[in-house]
Order: sequence, then structure tokens, then C-alpha cells
Amino acid sequence: MRLLDALWKALDERLELTPLVEFVQHKEVPQHRHSWAYYFGGLTLFFFGVQVATGILLLLYYRPTAEAAFESVQFIVTRVPFGWLIRSVHSWSANLMILAAFAHMFSVYFLRSYGKPRELTWWSGFVLLLLAMGFGFSGYLLPWNTLSFFATRVGTDMVSKVPLVGGWLLKFLRGGEDVTGATLTRFFGFHVAVLPMITAALLGVHLALIQRQGMHIPEGLEEEAARRKPLRFVPNFMMREGVVWLVGLAALAALAAFFPWELGAKADPFASAPAGIKPEWYFLFMFETLKLLPAHVLGVEGELLGLGAFSLAGLVWFLVPVLDSGSRLGPRGRAFFLLGWLALAYIVCFTLASFAGVFK
Amino acid sequence: MRNHVLAAAALLVVWAGGTQAAPPPNAVRPPGKHAEDTCTACHMGLDEARLRTPAQLTDSDIHHTQGITCAGCHGGDPTSEDATIAMSPTRGFVGKFTHQAIPDMCGSCHSDAAFMLRYAPNIPTDQLQQYRTSKHGLALAKGDTNVAVCSSCHGAHGVRQVSDGRSPVYPTHIVDTCGRCHSNRSLMTPYGIKGDEVEEYKRSVHYASLTKKNDLSAPTCKSCHGAHGATPPGVSSVSNVCGTCHPTQRERFDLSPHKDAFAALQQPACESCHSNHEIVHPTDTWIGVGEKQVCGSCHSAGDAGADAALAISSALASATNAIASAQLRVGRVQRAGMLMDDADVKLEDAHQALVLAQVEIHTVNPARVEGQTRAVLGGTGAAEKLAAAAEAEIRYRRTGLFISLAVIALAMVALILKVRSMER
Repeated sequence: MRLLDALWKALDERLELTPLVEFVQHKEVPQHRHSWAYYFGGLTLFFFGVQVATGILLLLYYRPTAEAAFESVQFIVTRVPFGWLIRSVHSWSANLMILAAFAHMFSVYFLRSYGKPRELTWWSGFVLLLLAMGFGFSGYLLPWNTLSFFATRVGTDMVSKVPLVGGWLLKFLRGGEDVTGATLTRFFGFHVAVLPMITAALLGVHLALIQRQGMHIPEGLEEEAARRKPLRFVPNFMMREGVVWLVGLAALAALAAFFPWELGAKADPFASAPAGIKPEWYFLFMFETLKLLPAHVLGVEGELLGLGAFSLAGLVWFLVPVLDSGSRLGPRGRAFFLLGWLALAYIVCFTLASFAGVFK
Repeated sequence: MRNHVLAAAALLVVWAGGTQAAPPPNAVRPPGKHAEDTCTACHMGLDEARLRTPAQLTDSDIHHTQGITCAGCHGGDPTSEDATIAMSPTRGFVGKFTHQAIPDMCGSCHSDAAFMLRYAPNIPTDQLQQYRTSKHGLALAKGDTNVAVCSSCHGAHGVRQVSDGRSPVYPTHIVDTCGRCHSNRSLMTPYGIKGDEVEEYKRSVHYASLTKKNDLSAPTCKSCHGAHGATPPGVSSVSNVCGTCHPTQRERFDLSPHKDAFAALQQPACESCHSNHEIVHPTDTWIGVGEKQVCGSCHSAGDAGADAALAISSALASATNAIASAQLRVGRVQRAGMLMDDADVKLEDAHQALVLAQVEIHTVNPARVEGQTRAVLGGTGAAEKLAAAAEAEIRYRRTGLFISLAVIALAMVALILKVRSMER
């Protein structure tokens, strides 16, 4: 112990760590009837950590070429000790991470925690969600199976509809005219280098902002929060968060053991597209909407119109802290509250309907 | 170059007993549509459909598109706008051809290798020669005008290439084209033909391949009977005909005692068990001497043939059951999420061996069939072994999961208790 104390003293002298420790020791988390919402962000972070750990392990065997990608994943799940578990956990955790991120975002939205002074936290979180979806989109292709190959072809084709830069963007994403081994290598690069680097930086900013500004107490719950004794961040809140993480871990273990992530058949670029190509579930609401749109609406290409509408909706969502700037829940705030429920209902209904085969 | 056609204008050629007009020099032109052709220009405007229709069909006619005008077959002068000159016998004009004259008229070009080389070098030039040996050609030579000539199958005007999907002799259409006459029982009866052959063929595995799998190489009427030399294959040549596509079965049949026995009995080889037109997909249940089993037509219980059939049937049944059982087990572990590619390969090997065993049936030698069914059992055994290993792996994973869940649950309880004790 004496050695540890000496080490701490040496570090403190050089880095002035005492204020930081005092900050952590004094950090508190308010308690009220919606305190449950504070756990979603941490849960998302937990799944992200699982992704990083399992992703690094997969990197030891994965080979990012059209010739070897499928076989290397096949090797991982059949020959590498616990390879099936790592791959399955990576795939399930990716999906649970997006689910947790959505839950986190909607809970923040409905509790109106995006308002001043937390605009930057909302914006960084929004971009982090987009990055998570980017992780999902790029990672989906990596096993190089039939479904992922054709889904990527459909998905990347959509960017070609973007006016002016669509063609360039398509080539940039694919590394050529079509989805090939060049696309796979490129997506691998995005997945393991570009996106992690940006995510790590932005995640640092997001977490720093939360620590700096503290937890938001939702409107109308200030009295309750003042009445109830706040939780100390360390160790009380962290231990509670630990319980949530353990639930997430148990869910991951059960899903990986009972529903190992399928590998499918190796992609054959010369084969015709199989029936029922679908992207990952979190893109389904957009995918099905674009499919439902007629080829042309008032002379404008249907897909372009759809993509434009989604971009506009995304922009409105992003700018919510500015558009709904009132501190109190006035008429404008109620309109945004309703907008949130509409968005949630739309996403949930379209996703479930797609799984139920309503759009076939 | 067809010098004898191009050099002589308006000559009548007497050839092989048929009288026909040789095309005038301007009847053969460079490929393409020829607007200045007075035959089509004039006939297009005629009221009588019989005379107007041929002109309307020129655009779809392979001869016209290659520059062979109406005059190429009918003679006359297509450059003259005066009908009396254009259709003057002195210019070689022949009106409607008689039924008997058609093969020779078509053959005047289609049997000329040098002429055909200019247009379609890959088309054989022995069609007329073959036709003369066919049932149709022989009957026509005897003056029977009910039989098919070239135009009966290919059409007279608007003749399309065989490879054109709209041609009446395209693989998917040829059955109905033959059926136009051969399904007409009153027309066929005098020739000793039942008239239900096309109907039977349409229930066959060959027709199913042609129409459901779009396999254009599937046999049609002409594949077995010949196209221009159409004739039924004799008893001794049936196995040659079937063996064209099924050489291994034929080779195995030749090794069997059936070969000599069938020949002695004047019985056709393949047809005796598989029928001729209504060739359905064979199953292992055919083998035996029971009711509706093919061996029973010649063999009866207790004889050597029946014993061999029983041995073959039993070997095939055990192989089939082994495949079904292994497939079920492998499928079960696959549904549990296990990757069973290795087992799939073993099952595919077993299936291939079963197909080979089914081919060996034609030797009627139980030892040869059993040799292949042993390979089937080897494949299914290996697949079952892999499935058993996968089942063990599933059990291991689930045990591991329950232990992990127990550890996680313990950790959760410990944390919850700690939190409670701290917040009390």
C-alpha cells in the first residue's frame, strides 16, 4: 500500500490529479421518477466497448479481400476456439448498441434534455448515432456473403441519387463502378480505422460534456430531485450501471449461444440478386419507405425525393435544440414532443411491418 | 457463288423429278429490305387475304431479310411494275407450288453447299437427302399429299430461323408443330399411328425439363426421330437413341444379361421399362416383381431375376433411408445455428453415390449396385458423425451459457446487495 501511495503522490505532483479525484468524488446523479433514462447512455457505451474488444479479436483472423473474407469468417466460426462466440457477440452487440443508442436518444428527446446548455451534447450524440449506423453499414459487408453483398449494392446505389455529387460519392464508396473486392477493402478501412478514430474523439467530447454539465433534471421534476437524495456517481451510480451492464452481458451471452449469427452463402457477384434483400433492421424504415415511393413524384425521382425528405427530417432532428429553444414546455415544445412520438411510431411501425412481411 | 443461278436468267430447271423455276439474276440481292420489290409493293394492296398475307410476312422472313426476294422461289421479274411481265412464265414465274414440288424447290438452294455458304455456313445441306429417307418423304414419293413437306413445319412465308423463339420449329414449339398432324387421330389412323404420342410426351420428364426448367437441350420429337429424316427408331436402335444423352445407362445396360435377352425377344431396350413418349421420372419403387413394378413384366417371384431385383431394391432403400436420416439430423443442428458445410459436402457425396447406384441398376447386378450404396452409407455415416459432434458442441455451448449466466446473476445480486447496504 505504501508503494501505491508513493506512486499516487508522484503522479499527483506531476499531473495535479487531486482536483479530478475531488470532482469525481463529489459528482452526483439526481434522483427522480425518470432517473432510469440515465442508464441508456452507459449501456450504449458498454456495447461499444464489447464491439471494440471483440472487433480486435476478429481482426486477428479476418482477411479483407473478396477471395478470402468469407472463408476467413468461416474459419473463425468453425475452427478458431470460441471464434463462433466472438463473432456472434460482435454481431449481436452491434445491434444491441444501435438499439441502446436509439433508446438513449429518444429518452433524451422526450425528457427535453437537449436544451441549453446541452446543445453540443445533443449534436455530438446525433453524429455518434450516425457513426454507429456507419459502423453497421460498413461491417455488414465484411463477411462477404450473398445477402450483405446485394444489400450493399442496393444501399450504395442510393447515394448515386444525390444531386451533383451522387456519381462521385458512389464511386468513392464502392471504389469503382460496382461492389467489388475494392469496396470490401474500403469498407474494412472505414470500419476499423476511419470510423473508430472519429468515434473515439467524438465520444470523448460527448462524455466530457456530460461530466462538465452534469445530468439534466427534466422540466417539472426539479422539486422531486431536490427532495430526494442524489446518488453519488462513485460508487453508487456506477454500481447500479454495473447491474445494467451485467443484464446487457447476459442478453448478449444468451443471444450468441441460442441464436448464433448466420454466415449464409459466399457472395457471387455474377449471380442474380436473391429475393428478399434487406438491410440491417435500423435501416428498414428508410428502405421500405423508399421502396413504397412511386418512380416519379411531380417529375422528381421518387428515391431522390425520399432521400431528400429523410435528410430534411434528420436536419430538423439535429437542430431541435435550436428550433425548440424555449426553456418551458410551451406550444412549440408540445409540437416537438408530438413530432418525437410521430418519429418513434413511424420507425417502430415500419420496422415491425417490414419484419412481418407487409411490404412484400 | 451460285454461278449457275446468277448466270442464267429465267431458266427452268428440271431437277429430281420436280419442275421448278430458277430465280432470275435480280432475285438474289444484298441482304436487307428492298422497297423497290414490285411483288410485295403490289401484293400489299390486294384485297384477297390469300394474296396479301405473303407480302405482309416478308419483314419477318429470313429469306427476304437476306435479300432473297419472292422471285427467288416463285420466279418472275420483281423489277417490272407491269404484272403481266413480272409474273410472266417467260420470266420463269411459277405461281403456287404443288405439295410435291415444295421439297425440291427449297432443296434447290438448301442442298447447294456453295450457295448456302454465302448465307448460313453452319446449316447442313443434306436436309432434302434426309427428307427423302423419312416416312414423310417416302410417302410423298408415292404420291401421298397428306404428309409433311418443308413448309408444313417451317411455314411457307414468314419463315424464321430455327433459333428464333417465334419459329414453329424452335425447341419449345416443335412438339405442337408435329402435333398439328400427329395429334389428329383421324389423319394418323391410316398410318398405324395412335395419335396420342404428343399427349403422352407432354406428361414426360423431358417435356417438363423443356417447359418448366427452360432446358432447350431437352429432347423433343426431332431429338429421337430426326428432324428432316423423321422416322421411328427401330427396336434395335432405341438404346442408341436414348444413349445419345444417357451414355452411362446405355453402357451399363450393354453389360447386363438383358441386352442379349431383349434382342432375342425382339424387345426394345430402354422403352421396355421406361416407355417411349411418356417417359416419367423413374423411382426406386419400380424395381421388383410386384404390381406396377417393371421387373414383374418378365420375372416372377422366386426366379433369379426377381431375387436380383429384391437385392437391388433393398440396397437402394437402405441407402435412401440413410440419406434421409442424415439430412434430418444435419438440418436439425443447422437450424440450431451450427455451420455444417462439411456435413453438406458429405451428404452431397452420398447423394452422388446414390445416383451412381441408380445408374448401376441397368447392369441388374446387385453387387455393382451395393458397391455404390456402400459409398452412400460411407457419406451418410460421416455426415452423422459431424452432426453428432455439432450436437455435442451445442450442449457444451449451452452448458457454458448457463454457467456464465449463473456467474453474471451472482455478480448482479452481489452488486444490488452492496448498493442497498450503501444506500440504507
